[in-house]
Amino acid sequence: MGSGDRLLEFISRRGFRKGWTVFNIAFFLLFIILPTVFILSYAVTDWSKIQNYVLNDPATMDLIIGAVVVSFEIAAIVTVIDFIAGLPVAWMMARKEFRGKQFLDTLIDMPLAVPTAALGFSAAIFWAATPNPPPFSLAVISSPMLLIILLHVVFSYPYMVRSLTAILGGIDETYETAGRTLGASRLTAVRTITLPLFRAGLVTGAILCFARSLSETGGTIIALATLYGRKMVEGDFQTGPTLIGLWKDASVSDPSLLPALAFVSILLIVLALVLLLVLKVVIMKVRLPLRKVWPTPEKLLSRGLFPKFKDSSAVLFLAAIVLVPSFFIFTYVFTGTPAQADWGLFIDALVTSFAVASVVTVVDLVTGIPLALYIVKNRSGRLAQLLDVLVNVPLIVPTAALGFSLGLFWSTLDSGAAVPILLIILAHIAFTYPLVVRNVVGAVEGVDPAFEETARTLGARPLQSFRRVLLPMIKGSILAGAIMAFTRSLGETGATLAVVANANTAPVYIVNLVNSQSYYLAAMACIILIIISYMFMLLLRRFTREEVV
Amino acid sequence: MPLVEMKGVSKRFGKVVASSGIDLRIEDGEYVTILGPSGCGKTTLIRMIAGILEPSEGKVLIGGRDMDGVPIEERDIGYVFQNIALFPHLNMLENVSYGPIVKDVSEEERVSVPRRYLELVNLLDRMSMFPSALSGGEQQKVALARALASGARLLLLDEPLSALDARVRMDLRYELRRITKDLGLTVLHVTHDQEEAMTVSDRIVLMRNGRIMESGSPEQMYRAPKELFTANFIGETNLLDGVVVVSGDDRTLVEVRDGSVVEAQPSGFEPGDAVVLSVRPERVHALNEGLKAVVRSMSFMGTYIRVTAEADSEDILEFDIPVPRGGDFNVGDNIHLGWSMGSALVYQRPPGGIAEAVKLE
Amino acid sequence: MNDQEYLCLLGPTGAGKTTALRVIAGLTAPDEGTVHFDQRDVTSVEPEHRNAVLLSQTYSLFPTMTVAENIMFGPDIRNVSDRDKEQMLVSLLDLVRLTGRAGSYPRELSGGMQQRCALVRAIATSPDVLLLDEPLRALDARLRIDLRRELKSLAKTLGLTVVHVTHDQDEALVMADRIAIIRDGRIVQVGTPSQVFNEPASPFVANFVGQSNFFTGTVVSSGPDGSEVEDDTGHRMKSRPTDVPVGEKAVLAVKVGHTRLLKLEAAKLQGRIERMLFEGRVVHVDVDVDGVGRFSAKIPASHGGRYQVGNEIGVGWNRNKAKLFPYPEGGLENELRVD
Repeated sequence: MGSGDRLLEFISRRGFRKGWTVFNIAFFLLFIILPTVFILSYAVTDWSKIQNYVLNDPATMDLIIGAVVVSFEIAAIVTVIDFIAGLPVAWMMARKEFRGKQFLDTLIDMPLAVPTAALGFSAAIFWAATPNPPPFSLAVISSPMLLIILLHVVFSYPYMVRSLTAILGGIDETYETAGRTLGASRLTAVRTITLPLFRAGLVTGAILCFARSLSETGGTIIALATLYGRKMVEGDFQTGPTLIGLWKDASVSDPSLLPALAFVSILLIVLALVLLLVLKVVIMKVRLPLRKVWPTPEKLLSRGLFPKFKDSSAVLFLAAIVLVPSFFIFTYVFTGTPAQADWGLFIDALVTSFAVASVVTVVDLVTGIPLALYIVKNRSGRLAQLLDVLVNVPLIVPTAALGFSLGLFWSTLDSGAAVPILLIILAHIAFTYPLVVRNVVGAVEGVDPAFEETARTLGARPLQSFRRVLLPMIKGSILAGAIMAFTRSLGETGATLAVVANANTAPVYIVNLVNSQSYYLAAMACIILIIISYMFMLLLRRFTREEVV
Repeated sequence: MPLVEMKGVSKRFGKVVASSGIDLRIEDGEYVTILGPSGCGKTTLIRMIAGILEPSEGKVLIGGRDMDGVPIEERDIGYVFQNIALFPHLNMLENVSYGPIVKDVSEEERVSVPRRYLELVNLLDRMSMFPSALSGGEQQKVALARALASGARLLLLDEPLSALDARVRMDLRYELRRITKDLGLTVLHVTHDQEEAMTVSDRIVLMRNGRIMESGSPEQMYRAPKELFTANFIGETNLLDGVVVVSGDDRTLVEVRDGSVVEAQPSGFEPGDAVVLSVRPERVHALNEGLKAVVRSMSFMGTYIRVTAEADSEDILEFDIPVPRGGDFNVGDNIHLGWSMGSALVYQRPPGGIAEAVKLE
Repeated sequence: MNDQEYLCLLGPTGAGKTTALRVIAGLTAPDEGTVHFDQRDVTSVEPEHRNAVLLSQTYSLFPTMTVAENIMFGPDIRNVSDRDKEQMLVSLLDLVRLTGRAGSYPRELSGGMQQRCALVRAIATSPDVLLLDEPLRALDARLRIDLRRELKSLAKTLGLTVVHVTHDQDEALVMADRIAIIRDGRIVQVGTPSQVFNEPASPFVANFVGQSNFFTGTVVSSGPDGSEVEDDTGHRMKSRPTDVPVGEKAVLAVKVGHTRLLKLEAAKLQGRIERMLFEGRVVHVDVDVDGVGRFSAKIPASHGGRYQVGNEIGVGWNRNKAKLFPYPEGGLENELRVD
């Protein structure tokens, strides 16, 4: 027996397999969930400080309430817009065959390739009535709220369309056809049959969009800074995350801001969790009017020009509201006034960002895949169900709050010695980990367990059947998860700033450039970041195509 | 006037031809089965009638009206799906009421019609249950009731029984036939199961590779199939290679591979023609003289025993004997096999060989 | 189970057949009881050490591997030498007529080929037990008939011990050495095909394996050469001897294939032909007997011309073909439910 065999023998033992599973679950709970919600303990341990510095200070209180309310308003409006504009496109992707479908598919994903910092800048210079608008920009928006809504629509739109498409594709089309053979017009069939079956997808899509909007920090800060033409100050228009960013920055010199900072974070986390729970219940419980039918008007709307109008306006929305603002920044190459800069700093930041993203992705994969497998294979177990819900928590918690909570947790454990780069890595793991787990869970669920079981009865050890049978079948999704995690880490600003105020990553560097109004340099940095991200995106698409279903 | 008519209908998916040059008439009140192996284009055909697919060429007429551009919901058809497709979020009564509701019938019919059809399939007591709580057979019966309640006169059944257990399938065949005949409906039923096709239909249309091979009543198709493929596909048959030695008005004599001469129906072939002889297992008998063969295996089939024998000509012959006589035979016995002249049919030997001509997939 | 035996587990969907198979394979742990191979308790042995190979309903051919890679999966895991593998592959491909398709991927094969490929993949590990979960379900009806024979003869040639799960009673009759009939998670009867067909243990078995006609009444006489049942309308029908005591409610079962159409005057049960359906080798005839119910018979197709729908006709059977059961507790309809 070779040493390889002996190793295989050892790791195939029940004891080892159990231990490995326990380790991964523990890692998830200790390194991801606990730090994420650690901030909540602050409310218990330091309630008196919160009372003194926040609750009893009407000015601070007003600021906080205002910012949090704005955040939720924006998230709600963005989710609704995404749904209305995204549904027809998702429908086309899931149900129709047309020329250019592949192309449209690529277009939808494009904003995902753009780091939010770059996206915020690009959208802002396109829309905002800034002091010196660049050529070709619209420069019409002067309301910060409207600007942020437009921006958030851009980066949450792909999430909505993707979730809706996935669920729609999973609903057997024969239900709708059956409805039509029974005499229902297309619209009636969709409304009474497909939509009710589709609620689960709606919840996922809505939660993703809502959470994405609620937690977005970097792009928002940049967009606002661009609009104002200067670094943001306390009196400006604030969302929850921007307030955290601002205070975190300031708290370096003014520790008395800490309780306020904690309070905003707690408020955002708790409200987000509560609201999403409510959203889930509401969507699942509300019954659409099934018994009511309006055969004639619905028949009219099912045919003729209306469907064409609906489809073309949805695509137009995609182009005008989502794509053009995303890539407007490229015009700077031609129209900007070149400026001298120390590119060495940017390259340093880029290297840091890459190092962080790489480490984060590797850790996500190594610990995330076993957890995903555990969740799928023990579906009926309480623990697995609980873990399945918990995995989503970092997704809904605003990254700025998450970063702050994380920083607090690790510095409490080991005050002083916390290495900044390590903290950034831990923070990034927390919000990218769910992306890997979700992707892998989805992929493994799509694979008939009979494949692995058959391999086992053919004599394969669990590890062998995973490596030789399951892994080749889900490698596309694993890669997709990995690249999503990588680009997400590469583009993240909010959590980075919240955990370490003066971090040196590429998006933070861009924020600083915008704050100091070095727009040309900021644009160039954004473009480089976009190109790198986009290359990863292409990789992702190539590998997911190859996946054998 | 025929209720359904297809004129020169073809359908292509990219380069794949799913059906080509289909001409088909279905009379009012007729129960027609489209039978054929997987991938022969039978589902494509029924989907074109329903309007789920548009033909690439040719016309589909229902009740004399050209269906080009008429959407599914205006064709007044009932469609029963292989995967049943009961709406999972609605209970049985709501499922069956769906047609009357979307067709906006009077309030009174909206209440009475669904109940009447649930009663017809004996499931009125399950009306408040959801699909997942019912067995497969019950679900399919509700799906049938749902199609009927929408007021359809033309029922399209797309492999309605293939998702069910063999035993349930058997019972439902009879029920399907009874209900549709009682209501005087026109039915087009797609299946790959030749037993099912024989039991339920007035007429069988056999398809292969996107084309109609042959059509006729179950009895015609079983007793006097025009094609070799049909003979093998509808019911089992023994096929023997041979050469015609005598061809007369009263019979054909065929010399099989071991040199023995056997009888078959008159055929019109000339002496010397290479032919294939087809004879059903239940028509073959062990006699005192005839084809020499050795018993290779015997299997119990319930009311009879199926014996497999290898003839000296190396042809494999199967025949049936009644159960009480099972003890008369043993594996390895030498026997003689024969049949009456009228039981055997003669076909031209296909150029690509027998196996290719009767290939099932 | 015996060595080299072909055992069919037969029962309706949801009866627990597949669970039984999974317990044997070690994929599901039993709540109670033990599993033995050759008197060795294997209840806690991992599936990969049981040498019992499962062939699932969908075949589970690994889509990322070619036919050859699929077939060699087992030997590969066991580190069989390359030369042996090559020889093995050649003979296995030949066995199931897939020689030209070694390099194809499963999705490029027809349903029948996929089935055969999965079968040799299972055989390649020389299993002690081959577990087949509805191996023919996904195939066309006509193809299924041909493959039944092929599969059975392959198993016999190679001397395999096989457990085959199916819901199709014809398949079980043709293929099995012994049949175990499962219903609601219990084994109702185990026996050879002819035992199960001719000596059913319950009305359910009588109806599930080959359809039966039923006649319900009270036992009026019982002796060594037969018993007699009388129903509410005064019809008296005969059966084989029974141990149901005189005076008890009972149900008589006779196979549709053993039910005969008789001349009107010679029969105790008289009715009208409701329906005749041509089924190929036989004609299915439904006779509605006044006050008693429907009786079905299968007559040879060559006799089909003698009768017509609407004819008044008698129904009867040889008393030795009829079996008497105590009336089932939950009612006859419930007992006969097949899904």
